[in-house]
Amino acid sequence: MATILGNLKQLFKELRDRNVADQPGNPSEMSALFRFRYTLFKELLAANSELLSVLSDMDEKLKGETVFGLSYITNQVNKSLRSAFQMVKNLNVMSSGKHRDLYAALEQINDRIKAIIEERKAEHAPRAVMSYEHILLKDADWAGGKNANLGEISNRLHIPVPEGFAITTKGFHDFFEYNDLKEAIIKQKNLLYVNEFDLLNNLSAETLALVRSKPLPPELAEDILAACAGLWGDDQSVLVAMRSSAVGEDGDISYAGQYLTLLGVTRSAICEAYKSIISSLFSARSIAYRSSKGVYDEDLAMAVACLKMVDSRVSGVLYTRHPYDITNEHILINAVWGLGPYAVDGVVTPDAYTVTKDAGLTLQEKIVATKPVQLALHAGGGVGEQPVAEDMQNIPCLNDDQIRLLAGYGAALERHYKCPQDVEWALAPDGQLLILQSRPLKIQNPAHSGLPKAVPLKGYPLIVDNGEIASQGVGTGVAVHVRSMEDLADFPEGGVLIARHSSPEYVMVMRRCSAIVVEAGSVSGHMAALAREFNVPTLICAHLLDRIPPGMEVTVDAYSGRVYAGTVIELLAAVRKEEAHMKGTPVHDQLQRIAKHVTPLNLVNPDAPEFTPLGCATLHDLARYCHEYSYKEMFQISDLASKFHGWSLKLDAALPMDIHLIDLGSGLKESAMTKWHAVKIDEIVSAPFQFLLQGMLSKEVHGLEPRPVNFSGLLSVIREQTLTPGHIGDRFGDRSYAIIADKYLNFSSRVGYHYSVIDAYCGNTISKNYITFTFKGGAADDIRKNRRVRAIARILDQEGFRVGVKGDKVDARLQKYPKSYIESRMDILGRLLIFTRQLDMLMTTEHSVEWVADNFVAGNYKLTAPPAEA
Amino acid sequence: MDKKQREFKVLLVDDEDIFREATARQLSVRGFIVLTAESGEAAVESIKTDPPEVVVLDQQMPGMHGSDTFIAIKAIDPLIEVIMLTGNTSVDNAIEMMQMGTFDYLMKPINIDELLYKIEDAYTRKKLNEKQQREAKQ
Repeated sequence: MATILGNLKQLFKELRDRNVADQPGNPSEMSALFRFRYTLFKELLAANSELLSVLSDMDEKLKGETVFGLSYITNQVNKSLRSAFQMVKNLNVMSSGKHRDLYAALEQINDRIKAIIEERKAEHAPRAVMSYEHILLKDADWAGGKNANLGEISNRLHIPVPEGFAITTKGFHDFFEYNDLKEAIIKQKNLLYVNEFDLLNNLSAETLALVRSKPLPPELAEDILAACAGLWGDDQSVLVAMRSSAVGEDGDISYAGQYLTLLGVTRSAICEAYKSIISSLFSARSIAYRSSKGVYDEDLAMAVACLKMVDSRVSGVLYTRHPYDITNEHILINAVWGLGPYAVDGVVTPDAYTVTKDAGLTLQEKIVATKPVQLALHAGGGVGEQPVAEDMQNIPCLNDDQIRLLAGYGAALERHYKCPQDVEWALAPDGQLLILQSRPLKIQNPAHSGLPKAVPLKGYPLIVDNGEIASQGVGTGVAVHVRSMEDLADFPEGGVLIARHSSPEYVMVMRRCSAIVVEAGSVSGHMAALAREFNVPTLICAHLLDRIPPGMEVTVDAYSGRVYAGTVIELLAAVRKEEAHMKGTPVHDQLQRIAKHVTPLNLVNPDAPEFTPLGCATLHDLARYCHEYSYKEMFQISDLASKFHGWSLKLDAALPMDIHLIDLGSGLKESAMTKWHAVKIDEIVSAPFQFLLQGMLSKEVHGLEPRPVNFSGLLSVIREQTLTPGHIGDRFGDRSYAIIADKYLNFSSRVGYHYSVIDAYCGNTISKNYITFTFKGGAADDIRKNRRVRAIARILDQEGFRVGVKGDKVDARLQKYPKSYIESRMDILGRLLIFTRQLDMLMTTEHSVEWVADNFVAGNYKLTAPPAEA
Repeated sequence: MDKKQREFKVLLVDDEDIFREATARQLSVRGFIVLTAESGEAAVESIKTDPPEVVVLDQQMPGMHGSDTFIAIKAIDPLIEVIMLTGNTSVDNAIEMMQMGTFDYLMKPINIDELLYKIEDAYTRKKLNEKQQREAKQ
């Protein structure tokens, strides 16, 4: 076998070395090859987004404020490994195996992570049924977050919670093992195609029936009944609410209401209800949702919370401090009559009470709303809306003592969990206030919180009001504009980094800077992940550079999304170091150890010598490397176009060049594909190409007559052409090629004697959008070439690109901007392509570099004579 | 749905009857000529008598495993392209198989259209490789 394997490897190596996939012969092969590469590229970008969102979620969990268990870790690790694998695989297939060492790097990281996970999998199993008096936060792994929290609140803080017990993941596994179900279910799940709904529905129905038909193991049933008896004795009138308590899956999934919740369950029906709830994991909706979220059945486990029903007289929500106004430390309480949902979903305006966190818990404000209706339990089970008695509608739901008692609970919860809390509470018929749930207060987007926007602080000019928050915190310092890598070298201690665009390279100064504010980027991008890792307050906000000049003293409030001029002492004073209760737990330690192989980014500079496959020490590094080189691979797709003489569609446009089109899919209207005619402009669907053409065809540049030629300039061009015949011309022949899809363009063109390549993606997902542009070659002598290149670089820099110049080649790049901005830059590039025709003729003096560039940026395209040398 | 007729054979190897039959049906509807085998051993026999252009191969099968089947297929004809499917979440085997030269490695559940495109891409690569070999011999 070893010999066969050896021979095979040798064969593949030979095939690869010959680069067979890059040498297609006929048009249909060529077209298939383009499509093949483009599909790989799109998959790679999607995997990159997926991986980055896992990284940012892990960073969030590492803060230790949210409850999570071992299943969370294995699931996130699996997700990130699969995304990294997809990226490594696709880059290698795209490039015919040029980056094969990435497999070795991935293998090493995978081995290290696996070793850490295996250590803890062997840990002891808990009991299948646990009453709340025996549950603490550390039991989250098997009891689920909701159960563990209630146990912690009851046993450590002695604050009342509803009576009840948890059926842990051990119960879940016991049931599946007893009935030999796990293997069967995983196998069935693998039979699915995600988009075949009939198959999905059938298999789901079969699995549900299978699970429900199986008996609980006798010990589990006995444990459940014993727990009921222990809590409620012989009282058979007790009704129980049963719902899942998230363990493995993202908390989001259970919040999204994917799993069954049963209210009003009688004691005799609890065992059957339990089976119904765990089988809801296999509803068609849940299966589809899990696979769309990348949750794997190997990690499947569910804990169930069984709580005595509370027919609340009053209920509501409590925030232990204002969610995004960090100067406001008061406790905010909302209250409505009846059951809780009406307190948050806007059906009635709730009462609003504000309590100061002083020793006496002073009731600072009490706004009583009119509450005409309430949600109540029906006698026969279920809930429904009922009118509120008229004399009750305008009186407060809670009296002052109750408000203070509740506020005291809130303050205790915040102290205990060491971070602000978002609490659900209820007033039971016997007058007891109960805590139903407490979780970290997280409202990322003030606009969507449902709360009124905090009033800006008085006395400080507000410069930015609606920044997107990439990393929370407050920072103050002197604004430092960063336009290039060189600016980072002498970045001052404590400065506030202001830049046009996010870049992971800013990591070099993250220990020195007190905040970052950029005009464009993504809150789930590489830089944002690093900012959270380094705890640097970071905002993203458009049109910023002009408003914050270099040297200006500013305060960045990355809670409210604001930037103020000056040092805002109130904000700085309000910042507290928040310690997190999960820190120090075994599961947090484990995540921390694993995260070392996942989240840090070491490869920040693509030009650095360590930017190699074997320099990748983490999954983030692998993603960065693959992302970088995937652009290069796509960019080079135009090299293939030059070998493609046989077949393409021609564009019918009044342009000084022939443009041939290769559609990778959805780049053209169907009418263009069915007829063998030249493609009309309005048949183009590809967004980046549409806007490039708009620029190329714009009246201002398109109407240009050939420039009056300066005689010495013309001579230079002619001489250079004679000396190096056809050197550049060979590259593309006389054609320009546009390889398009609906959101993609690779455009290689020959205009005059220059060539340029544009590669762009332009869709609704900001993190995927980019433009790369290269301009090179052309007639004229070295001095003129150099001047021209500098003029183009100057234009691109002013138009928002990151620009590098090497010899007579300009490389420009721009990424993670909104669609509209990418479109506007494509228009500019279109104008530039036309404008650069015979640009050399104008490059007679040093002065012309600035003169040409500044005129272009100002929209003056009709230049006649360069200025005289100063 | 894409109904164009494709004139090449795809061999589908999976021990799960439901999956194999459902996939075969889907691919036939989309114009592929589909052969099926319920085990690695059966796949090897089938390839000897009626060679396909592309094989879609399940990793977890009783008897001859997907990896062994892959090696056996390549020993018969190294130019047949193989797309592996797995229900496993671990990437260990995926890395190894990609290094050995599988065309792609897809993790279940998959999208039928995605599989269709992968099969077409695999066919494209096979044709390119065959042409290259012919030219090398001349």
